[in-house]
Amino acid sequence: MATMVSTQADIGRVSQFLYEEAALLDQRRWFDWMDLFAEGAMYWAPLTPDQPDPINHVSLFYEDAMMREVRARRLEEQRAWSQQPLVQAARIVGNIRLGEPEQDGEILVRSTFIMAESRIPFHRQIAGFYTHRLVEREGRFLIAQKRVDIIDSEGVHGNFEGFL
Amino acid sequence: MAIDLNNIGALVEEDQVHKAVYTDADVFDLEMDRIFGHAWVYVGHESQIPNTGDYHQALIGRESVVLIRGEDGKAHVLYNRCPHKGAALVVNPCGNAGRFLRCPFHGWNFRCDGRLLSVPAREGYEDTRLDTRDPQYSVKRVARYASYRGFVFASLAEDGPSLEEFLGGISLSIDNFCDRAPEGEVEVSGGVFRVRQRSNWKIFFENLNDTSHPMVTHESSVNAARAKYKSLPEGSEMPFQLHIIEGNGEPYDFWGALEMVAYDHGHSYMGAIFMPPTDRISLEHQASLEAVHGAEKAREILAVQRHNSVIYPSCSPHTSFQQLRVIRPISVNETMVEIYTFRLKGTSDEFYQRSVAYANIVNSPSSNVMPDDIEVYARCQEGLQTDGGDWVSHHREAGREKAEGDGRYTAGGLSELPMRNQFRAWAGYMTKEA
Repeated sequence: MATMVSTQADIGRVSQFLYEEAALLDQRRWFDWMDLFAEGAMYWAPLTPDQPDPINHVSLFYEDAMMREVRARRLEEQRAWSQQPLVQAARIVGNIRLGEPEQDGEILVRSTFIMAESRIPFHRQIAGFYTHRLVEREGRFLIAQKRVDIIDSEGVHGNFEGFL
Repeated sequence: MAIDLNNIGALVEEDQVHKAVYTDADVFDLEMDRIFGHAWVYVGHESQIPNTGDYHQALIGRESVVLIRGEDGKAHVLYNRCPHKGAALVVNPCGNAGRFLRCPFHGWNFRCDGRLLSVPAREGYEDTRLDTRDPQYSVKRVARYASYRGFVFASLAEDGPSLEEFLGGISLSIDNFCDRAPEGEVEVSGGVFRVRQRSNWKIFFENLNDTSHPMVTHESSVNAARAKYKSLPEGSEMPFQLHIIEGNGEPYDFWGALEMVAYDHGHSYMGAIFMPPTDRISLEHQASLEAVHGAEKAREILAVQRHNSVIYPSCSPHTSFQQLRVIRPISVNETMVEIYTFRLKGTSDEFYQRSVAYANIVNSPSSNVMPDDIEVYARCQEGLQTDGGDWVSHHREAGREKAEGDGRYTAGGLSELPMRNQFRAWAGYMTKEA
């Protein structure tokens, strides 16, 4: 049963969830991270900020559970050449605030992130905005959709291999 | 070793090339003049600029140019430079210039075909040597530009083969790209990926028809896709997304049986690696072609099965999934690749959405397939800078290709004919004085 989140305490719980999620990605715990998703949930990073939909336009990421698993499995493959040395990342998530949910029973959370990523000797910074649609199931949050809008989404990019 | 630019032809032998072609900055500079200053280079597609003033920025070698729709309804290719003080006239990748191109510095205005329209306080130029009727005070047009079925190419050189002569037999790849549309036309749609590679542009070109790398380079994504497929309920059909990743894991025999065809000017293509699909979306597409052309012609169109085509030195169409990769050398060790997805006019949204899915999986910066490609290119760039050897091998099946007498050179699917063919063209451009 979903509940409305409105109190300060609830915002604290939501923030904690986002921090834990970020930590799983920083720690390359892909499979634990994937467990945070509700059934049918999509992970989406549009190519353009005003992109109307993910199916008639290319996206930086548009992945269901199957494709998230392919990515996670690949990152752990011994002969993932581009992961030698491993890509390491550290994220800061902030400016967390609640928005108007589009669907009943969902919680809409907006936040800003900055992520340092290193694959020695290369280093880059990725920054942007997360939009999480969360649902609450049996006392824990699950992600119904995670949307990532990086600020230079239409720029010239090197590989994005892990999840943002 | 110091490279003798006066004897540049010595860097290319019929079955190997000297590493300097990939690593030497002077060679790169000379390529900009002699290859990108002469060849027909892909600029953009007419569908990107439907209305007067619509523009699309592009690079021809080092030259920033603007593809723009003029008042005359024609697509023009202009240097991105105001003839007054030199400011770039546009900075966005694409957009609309409005009724005229306006320089943001001193307000000189130009028609969308480049001709000077107005200069503020014009009387200041009276009795000076600046004659506003002189073409040098209009935005300079690129020497030659032409459209082949909507694909606009430009050449910085006044003289040389026509676009049709330059394309030769590879024009069939563009024809087939368009003929697969029931209306015979295609349009750019759905955004463009731009990917940075830390390697020389030619390394990417060679890889486009390199059939002996997939099972090695792509082992990680092939294994991941196969493992995921195994976890699906037994007897499941392999989903499209997994299929196009897993296909790279085919054994050498599979690749060896593919068609490999090269043409003059460095162009080539390899046969398709995904057989004509028989799913509902593909059958509906086939039916829509039959409705226009009849069964026989439709079969003929779909029988042209090509994976990557190489249009040297600027682009690579993928006819069966409506992708166009555009290759822009940035420096001797950096390359930008742009990936465009096209809609075939007269096909369903579902058909187009499959092209989008293909772009996401194969050509996005987040692709699970491409990172290992980009990694091995960068490793070549790194290794080639060592003193561990001077030559790069292109020997596979050397001497076994066959000149068919109709402009085609054919070889076995594992042949490195395309690499040798690219360097034959390369040497041709590079040894010709400007």
